[in-house]
Amino acid sequence: MQKFLAVLKREYKKVVFTWTFVITTFLMPLIASVFVLVPLLIFSIEGESTRIAIADLNGNVAPRLQENLAPEKIAEKARQAAKESLSDFSASQDEKMKRSAEQLGGTFTFVPYDPLGKSPEQVRSELSSRVANNELEAFLIIPKNINERDQEYLYFSRKSGDFVINSTLQDALNEAVRSQRLAEANISEDVLKDLSRKVNFSIKPLTETGEIKADDSGPWAAFIVAMLIYVVLAIYGQAIMSAIVEEKETRISEVLFSSARPFELMMGKLVGVGLAGLTQLAIWIATVAAFVAVGIASAAASGLEITLPTITVSMVIYFLVFFLLGYFIFATIYALIGSMVTNMQEGGQFALPPILLLLIGLYFCFAVIRDPNSEFAFWVSIAPFFAPIVMPVRILADTPPFWQIALAILLNGAAIVGLTWAASRVYRVGMLMYGKRATIPEVWKWIRQS
Amino acid sequence: MDENRVTLKADSITKSFGDFTAVDRLSFEAGAGRIFGFLGPNGAGKTTTIRMIVGITVPDEGRIELFGKRISPAVQDRIGYLPEERGLYKKMKVSDQLRYFAALKGVPAKEADKRIDFWLDQMNLSEWKDKKTTDLSKGMQQKVQFIATMLHDPDLLILDEPFSGLDPINVEFMKQVIAETKSQDKTIIFSTHMMDTAEKLCDDILLINKSRRVVSGSLREIKESYGKNVVSLRCTGGDEVLADESLAAKVIDHSDEREVFLAKGADPQNLLGKLVSSGAEITKFELIEPSLNDIFIEKVRG
Repeated sequence: MQKFLAVLKREYKKVVFTWTFVITTFLMPLIASVFVLVPLLIFSIEGESTRIAIADLNGNVAPRLQENLAPEKIAEKARQAAKESLSDFSASQDEKMKRSAEQLGGTFTFVPYDPLGKSPEQVRSELSSRVANNELEAFLIIPKNINERDQEYLYFSRKSGDFVINSTLQDALNEAVRSQRLAEANISEDVLKDLSRKVNFSIKPLTETGEIKADDSGPWAAFIVAMLIYVVLAIYGQAIMSAIVEEKETRISEVLFSSARPFELMMGKLVGVGLAGLTQLAIWIATVAAFVAVGIASAAASGLEITLPTITVSMVIYFLVFFLLGYFIFATIYALIGSMVTNMQEGGQFALPPILLLLIGLYFCFAVIRDPNSEFAFWVSIAPFFAPIVMPVRILADTPPFWQIALAILLNGAAIVGLTWAASRVYRVGMLMYGKRATIPEVWKWIRQS
Repeated sequence: MDENRVTLKADSITKSFGDFTAVDRLSFEAGAGRIFGFLGPNGAGKTTTIRMIVGITVPDEGRIELFGKRISPAVQDRIGYLPEERGLYKKMKVSDQLRYFAALKGVPAKEADKRIDFWLDQMNLSEWKDKKTTDLSKGMQQKVQFIATMLHDPDLLILDEPFSGLDPINVEFMKQVIAETKSQDKTIIFSTHMMDTAEKLCDDILLINKSRRVVSGSLREIKESYGKNVVSLRCTGGDEVLADESLAAKVIDHSDEREVFLAKGADPQNLLGKLVSSGAEITKFELIEPSLNDIFIEKVRG
């Protein structure tokens, strides 16, 4: 026990008292927040107002368009879009881009132009030369007959790549043309507004007993949790492997094995590195919690309401339990691989299968977040290797009955016992085999025999 | 050997790996206050035997007793083992490294710190205390590893090729430490294939070849049992006498003298007489014991 503690202490210090650890621990949240904040900052840099001339051959659309493009109206739309994007986190990347564009909006300065009595070609050449003289950046030609199909609304711009401007203009133009058409069909503006109101689509999550759940922000938290577990398991599994390969490569194992039992040595290593992982995770969770708190405060200040997932004490305990289960499953696999190979390069090749297992588990999470009560969700959330990632996600998304959680713990606990048993056997023999990588049949023999 | 002084006793130990028998029914004893030379060519089974003594592996058959007991964690703590394959943690400071190895042998932290300072000072390594292994030369690493072997003041010291890679000054220094350890009534097992070193250091030897014992016992007795059947000769001429196979079984030429192995039953006086009468000019004619190296080569070649 005393030797086990000596090993544990060394392994823990070796991981935690390094610059790499300090840097990754404090930089990761920073990098993550940079990924979130930088795009927001960049998008929020307001572009210069675009000088635009509207050549309205129809004559009735331009005033409506100018009204739609008024700054107050754009700001109102942006607020609306921000609200929507927060309530739907699973939107595709494309939609998200568009939404963030809507949240920003572009500004326009209108340059008067009268196209009366001029042909479209004439308008085009006149305005083009004004762009060349730097009097304008863009111009829009609205066709004469807006009710005819296949009419083109030509938008010429020096800033054609600015998708914020483009999408703002497109939306405003669509609305303006539509109102004009309706007006021509003798429908009044008020009736129109009343009729084109959006439906109030409200999602009410139900619990298993059929009651309405208080909040529905579980998926958010679940997704973050899945990522965290995945990252920590992958990093620390590799850490275990390289520690073991180092002892084998440098032949330190010879001295170690003459001083303590191999099982003590292996377990000391696993627990020591595991505690280091837990330390890092705790720091990250605290940081994320702080960021979320700040984020919510600032969102609330700007008039947005975000519901926080209710995280109970039992959820935190489950999270830690499943993290530890996952850690010991993958750490023993990596320990086994480490004692088979002769150097890190070989180890890297063999490390692919556990990484794949982890990745598959992560992908299962998406399915489980969408439908936490399906039969599929049940099986993958209790299965060894996957449960440590999937079950915490399921618990956050929609807590399953206790017996399922207990079953997952039991099955994965059993897997750990089996894996530790096998790994310690391979470790005992493999660590003293130098120069040559063990083959799978050899490893199988060690497991059965010794 | 005096029964009360026996600290290590191996009784017919055997170890096989698949079809290959690495150690075959090997028995030997090593005693306190003596240096036990464990000799044999590469691949004879030395390392396998040592691994069984220190408890890394278990013999398939036979038993090993240390200080009258079977191997256990408590017994392991009394062994200091310097393996042939040296290894230290590359990125760990010398002092941290030594502290860790001491802890693994059950030395309390405070006591370990005292001994680390003492040994680093002895080895002239004090200024390297806070350096990482990668900053040390190979010889220095060797010395650090030797300190790690001595920190828990072991009663049984097992040194596998301890001098390889050391310069002559450090070899002399190490020999002093070994002699001191011996005078403290500890048991030292010295494994090597360097016969001249073994000859100067060892009290007892065990020579193994192809997994089996070839010769064992006190070095003195072994050498005496071979008798004085070698002549150290310095002379000019007399080549035809030395070519006579009924007199000289083998002649080895060294730089300025020759080693003449007498044929079975040949009388050294007869050889001297014939050399004189052949007109050879003799400046040295001395009957000597065979060297350990000679015994080794004879036994191993078989």
